[in-house]
Amino acid sequence: MEMTDQIEATAREIGERVRPQLEDAKRRLSSANDKVIEYIKENPGTCLLGAVALGFIVGKIARRA
Amino acid sequence: METPEKNPSEKSPANGRTADENAHSLGQRIDRVSGSAQEAWGQTRDAFSDLSDAIDIKGRVRRQPYGTLAAALGIGYVLGGGIFTPLTSRIVRLALRIGVRAAFLPLLKDQVAGLADALADGDGDGAGRAAGKGHKASKRT
Repeated sequence: MEMTDQIEATAREIGERVRPQLEDAKRRLSSANDKVIEYIKENPGTCLLGAVALGFIVGKIARRA
Repeated sequence: METPEKNPSEKSPANGRTADENAHSLGQRIDRVSGSAQEAWGQTRDAFSDLSDAIDIKGRVRRQPYGTLAAALGIGYVLGGGIFTPLTSRIVRLALRIGVRAAFLPLLKDQVAGLADALADGDGDGAGRAAGKGHKASKRT
C-alpha cells in the first residue's frame, strides 16, 4: 500500500515536472506549423515547384533502388 | 611612350565597315534579341497565369496547404517514374492496412458491443459467457 502511494507520488511529480516542457513543445510546434503554413501561402509557386522536384527525385531514387 | 589612338572611322580589314557601323549593328541585334526575349517571357507569363487561374492554385494552396503540397509531391513522384516500384507497393500496402483497420475497427467494435448487450439482456449462463467473450474481443480491438 505504501509502495503504491510512493509510486503514485513519483508519477505525479514526474508528470508535473514534464507538463510545462510538454506545453512549451506544443506551443513551439504550433508556432512552427503556423509559420510553415504562412510561408506556403505567401510562396505557393516556389513550394509547389519544390514539392514536385522533391517528388521527382524520390521517384528517381525509388526507380533505381 | 605614346599609345596609338584608334580612329573610329577607320575601316576594319575584315568586313570593310567602320567600327562605328559594327557597334551600331551589334546594338541593333542586341535590341532585337532582347525585344523577342521579352515578348517570349510575356507570353509564357500570360500562359502560366491563365493556367493558374484555371486551376486556381493559389486558392487551393490557401485552403489546403499541406494537401496541395502532398499532391505536388505525388505528381513529382509519378513523373520521376516511381509509380511501379517496390517502394510504391509497400506504401500502398501500408496505406491499405491502415485504411482497413480504421474503417473496420469501429464497425467491429459496435457489432461486438451490440452482441454483448443482446446476450447480456438474454437469460442463462451461456449468454453471460458469450457477453464476456464479446467484452474481451472489444477490449482486444
